[in-house]
Amino acid sequence: MFKRKSECQKARGLLSPYIDQQLSTSERLLVEDHLAKCALCSGELESLRAMVNLLHRVPVGSPPRSFALAEVEPRRRPAPFALVSAATAVAASAMAFFFVGDAFDLFGTRVIEEGAKQRMPVPAPEAYQPLDAGEVGTQVAEKWPVWQIEIALIGVVVVLGAVTFILWRRRRRAREARMGRA
Amino acid sequence: MEEGDLILRSKEGDLESFNRLVEKYQRAVYNLALRMLGQASAADDATQEAFLSAFRGISKFRGGNFRAWLLRITANACRDQLRSLRRHPITSLDELVLDTEVDRDAQSPEDYALRRELGAEIMNALATLPSEQRLAVILYDIEGFSYEEIAQVMNCSLGTVRSRLSRGRGRLRHCLAQHVEPSLDEFRL
Repeated sequence: MFKRKSECQKARGLLSPYIDQQLSTSERLLVEDHLAKCALCSGELESLRAMVNLLHRVPVGSPPRSFALAEVEPRRRPAPFALVSAATAVAASAMAFFFVGDAFDLFGTRVIEEGAKQRMPVPAPEAYQPLDAGEVGTQVAEKWPVWQIEIALIGVVVVLGAVTFILWRRRRRAREARMGRA
Repeated sequence: MEEGDLILRSKEGDLESFNRLVEKYQRAVYNLALRMLGQASAADDATQEAFLSAFRGISKFRGGNFRAWLLRITANACRDQLRSLRRHPITSLDELVLDTEVDRDAQSPEDYALRRELGAEIMNALATLPSEQRLAVILYDIEGFSYEEIAQVMNCSLGTVRSRLSRGRGRLRHCLAQHVEPSLDEFRL
């Protein structure tokens, strides 16, 4: 039962190239052997063949006009829209990353604040003592000026977003003008 | 003038020679676009865009089958149009094609109407296929290309052409069997 079903599936997968005479000799013999003993697949072949003949009878349309080129404008330079919008997306993602990271204290900025409180007053250099874990975090985190980065990213996103919007408006107007001419 | 000479002159920027190639192939290009897009205005745009791109890029044509190269450009133009149609779907049914120009004088009014209706059913069924399967079916069964030419147009192997054609025909048969009107009994599958 299962063997018969899989034979049918295999044969049916080959019916289309069989009609087009695109099978190898071994594949063709396999299909013909199966068709000789399977009425269902023979019916399937006839149905497929009828549809292919139907497609061959589809009328061919004439072009409504000549597509000869009157003049060809010089090739336009690639629009910067895609580049600018991609840059905006990257900057916005980076901004989101920094804000979320800051909210979850991934950069250790709270340690800076706490560390800053603990460090008051600043010990004299000669009273040097090994740093504890909190202070190590403070020193490492001090290398990340998170707020400055966030403000800079906001500026970048605003500028790039404005440029993207202007380019998008310009593209839209150009398209509408083309459609109007058509 | 031979096609090879026209291509050579076109590469040198001779628009008149290129326009003779346009005249020769515009029927095939327009029909492919029409069947891929199912909408006359979009097919018109895609055809014009394809010829413009072909003229601009003809210096990249390295010989071989010019028709296949041209139809590859057409298929790309159709993909762009399909993306655009998805963003701005048509709202008027009048825009939908189904206006395949059948030669009216060559047949009886009944046969004309029947073939027109049949053309419309097939267009609707074609529109349900994924674009790569649709392209394979149109090129082989309607435009009469060989497997080798289709492989060039679609930039894929013969095995892929075989598989896309087989799947496309299977789906199309299923769709047509469900939707062909009783008046088209002559064509019933």
